[in-house]
Amino acid sequence: MKSLATAASAPSATPAERGVPLSAGIRKYVHRHFDLVVGAATLIAFFLAWQFARPLGIPGLSAVEPPTKVVAASWDLLSSATFWTACYKSVLRILAGFALAQIIGVPIGLMMATNRMAFHTIFPVTEILRPIPPVAWIPVAIIFWPTREMSTVFIVFLGAFWIVLLNTIGGASTIDESYRRAALSLGSNRWHLFRYIVLPATMPSIVTGMVVGMGISWEMVVAAEMIASDTGLGYLLWQSFEINAGAQVIVCMLAIGIAGFVSSALIGRVGRLLTPWQGRR
Amino acid sequence: MAAPTSLPGPGSGPAGARPAARWIAFFQAMLGISIFFLSWFLLVDVFAVWRFAQLPKLSVSLREMFSPDPTFGVSVFTKEYYDHLQASAGRVVFAFLIAVSAGVVIGILSGWNRWFRAVCQPLLELARPIPVLAWIPLVILVMPSRESAVIALTFLAAFFITILNTMLGVRSIDEVYFRAAQSLGFSRWAILRHVVIPGALPFIFVGLQIAMAACWFSLVASEIVSGTAGLGYKVWEAYYYVQFETMVIMILTLGICGYISSAIIRRLGAYLMRWRGKTLGGVA
Amino acid sequence: MSRGALSFRAVRKVYDPEGKAVLALDGVDLDIAPGEFCAIVGPSGCGKTTLLNAVAGFETLTAGAIQLDGRTIATPDASAAPGEDRIVVFQNGALFPWRSVMWNITCGPVMQGRMSEREAREHGLKLLARVGLKGCEDKYPNDLSGGQKRRVEIVRALINDPAVLLLDEPFRALDALTKSVMQEYLLELLVQFPKTVFFITHDLEEALFLGDKVVVFTSRPGRIKEVVSVDIPKPRSHEVLTSPRFLELKAALSAVVHTEAMRAFEAGEKEMAR
Repeated sequence: MKSLATAASAPSATPAERGVPLSAGIRKYVHRHFDLVVGAATLIAFFLAWQFARPLGIPGLSAVEPPTKVVAASWDLLSSATFWTACYKSVLRILAGFALAQIIGVPIGLMMATNRMAFHTIFPVTEILRPIPPVAWIPVAIIFWPTREMSTVFIVFLGAFWIVLLNTIGGASTIDESYRRAALSLGSNRWHLFRYIVLPATMPSIVTGMVVGMGISWEMVVAAEMIASDTGLGYLLWQSFEINAGAQVIVCMLAIGIAGFVSSALIGRVGRLLTPWQGRR
Repeated sequence: MAAPTSLPGPGSGPAGARPAARWIAFFQAMLGISIFFLSWFLLVDVFAVWRFAQLPKLSVSLREMFSPDPTFGVSVFTKEYYDHLQASAGRVVFAFLIAVSAGVVIGILSGWNRWFRAVCQPLLELARPIPVLAWIPLVILVMPSRESAVIALTFLAAFFITILNTMLGVRSIDEVYFRAAQSLGFSRWAILRHVVIPGALPFIFVGLQIAMAACWFSLVASEIVSGTAGLGYKVWEAYYYVQFETMVIMILTLGICGYISSAIIRRLGAYLMRWRGKTLGGVA
Repeated sequence: MSRGALSFRAVRKVYDPEGKAVLALDGVDLDIAPGEFCAIVGPSGCGKTTLLNAVAGFETLTAGAIQLDGRTIATPDASAAPGEDRIVVFQNGALFPWRSVMWNITCGPVMQGRMSEREAREHGLKLLARVGLKGCEDKYPNDLSGGQKRRVEIVRALINDPAVLLLDEPFRALDALTKSVMQEYLLELLVQFPKTVFFITHDLEEALFLGDKVVVFTSRPGRIKEVVSVDIPKPRSHEVLTSPRFLELKAALSAVVHTEAMRAFEAGEKEMAR
């Protein structure tokens, strides 16, 4: 017990250590910003390993173009119109598919959650369709929709739709009954109940659905463009691979990653605007 | 971001309790499913409205599916069907198991050990925002064969999700349990075994559900672009050779596989988390 | 009974989150005799729980010292790691919900290697029967009521034979009826297993009913405002609650506590307004 006690107090600097200001200063900094320092060291080690993977003969990594080439390729790509057109196309498809998923998914979800008949009739059908991976719908979408553009948007929509639907149902069907009763005793009618109880109480779940749905939308747009389109970031990624431009593959990957990250952040912002009463996490 | 473990419908509590209400729910389910298939039949087979005329007919697809001598060579009575099924299921099971064991170990270590977290977090944060499907070309470049690339992509899909949810799970454990364990004289190993792992289990299983769906999703995409066999590959091949009925068979099979695999995880989770008792997991 | 003498010497605790120093405890001097039941009362946020956590080994002090049976267990430089000699029963309970009642009770002595699993089980069954929970050993904590959980938790603490039992508002979440039953259970158990008890509560009546000594804390910074020894002989039953002496003590103490509560309330309002 005694030894444990002294071990616990070890990190705090003793007066003797303060005699060496520089090393003590560094140690204190490392101690306070442990995650930052170790994290930075890890990233540096990773990039070095990647850069020198070929001379070092690291399996796997050596098949990937080194970071310096990736940076060079990103200059070329970022200054080309092709890249920005691809970005524009992908973003438009995401916006369309994502918006459709909200516009259709949220009302259906609310209806299913508030109406028992609708729930028990529609939910089993979604249980049948939901387990089918949305990517498997790509050929069906191509057959059905008149243009490739429409089928891509449809696939994005489908990917986000299930998550939006499930979250809306989950949120709206777990509203505390006492809110409803409080509203009724204050003289609410059906519209008031919907507008001031059901909708706001479901909003946090809808926002969760939006955030997750946005992530899935990017998955879907990449899949659809790679498989069945001739524009967009997903297509550019696949084309880079086919023409054996390894560095460009990585640039495209990173671009998609950044675009996904930014759109998630934006959705998070919108979510906070929609639910101002929720505490910051 | 706690995903609901089971979906309570409107008033599911009392409805589940009364047998009459359960029968009504059953008939409504049958009604809903019938409406779905009836609309497929009417829109495509009978009236062939608008673009629906292009889609495979329900009657023909079903006949093809259960025919001992199918037009395009694939039905539930042919060996080829089971070859594709086995190829895909084998890849998913293999990749999922590796991803889950690695993901849970890494997730628990990084939710628990400061050093491990500091090393893993930045690499994870770097890779995570990139959609799994965007990894396809890179993985094909890195992996020695097409088969290993498909497995690696299926693995990746489950891997990140499992790590993330396990970490969330470890962090969700109330500090008070660690304190109780400490004052009861638990060793570090005992804390891991009796506090960290069981405490993180609910989140881990939410993660496993999502990870399994992601596995099938990633598998189908990678089979389409780089596979040589499997359900996803066959969906695309059937589309390519205009064998739409075969395509329907494969898509239905994918749905069934997805449903069964997630049901297995749900059952296993309910069994391992019996302690959640009536208050939580009882309805699942 | 020679174990369990707890003493606090000039204990001081400053929290320093984001540079804003908050003085939580200041100049706390207190002696608790072996086997004494010491109830701590004070407004929310007065540092009661901080003091308990310092004894348990979950917090370090800024100044001062805490001793248990002459052994220093907490100073600003070091604090003894949490251990089975100072078991805590937490406010909201900390039974491991994923393990059975019996596992929860026996895990301490089994893991410390003081009892074999069989011994611990036999012992545990006896204790469970004593608190009226016969037949609950294989249930999960979630299958028990709030009052039952609290009893299991107290049994879990007692089976470790701690030098001091640290109870952090253990009956807070219970309804009034269950609470009074639990209080009698606790007193009964302590007759059979005498322990030094460090008991935190908001409830003045509870403190007086259970305590040999009641310590009133000021609102933040927590200082000892008054120490009252409760000269009502033990064993006590609920009839005590209406005895003249009890009411007299209660009247005297509630005036003191109310002033502190008002001060804490006003300080809280000011903080909210800021």
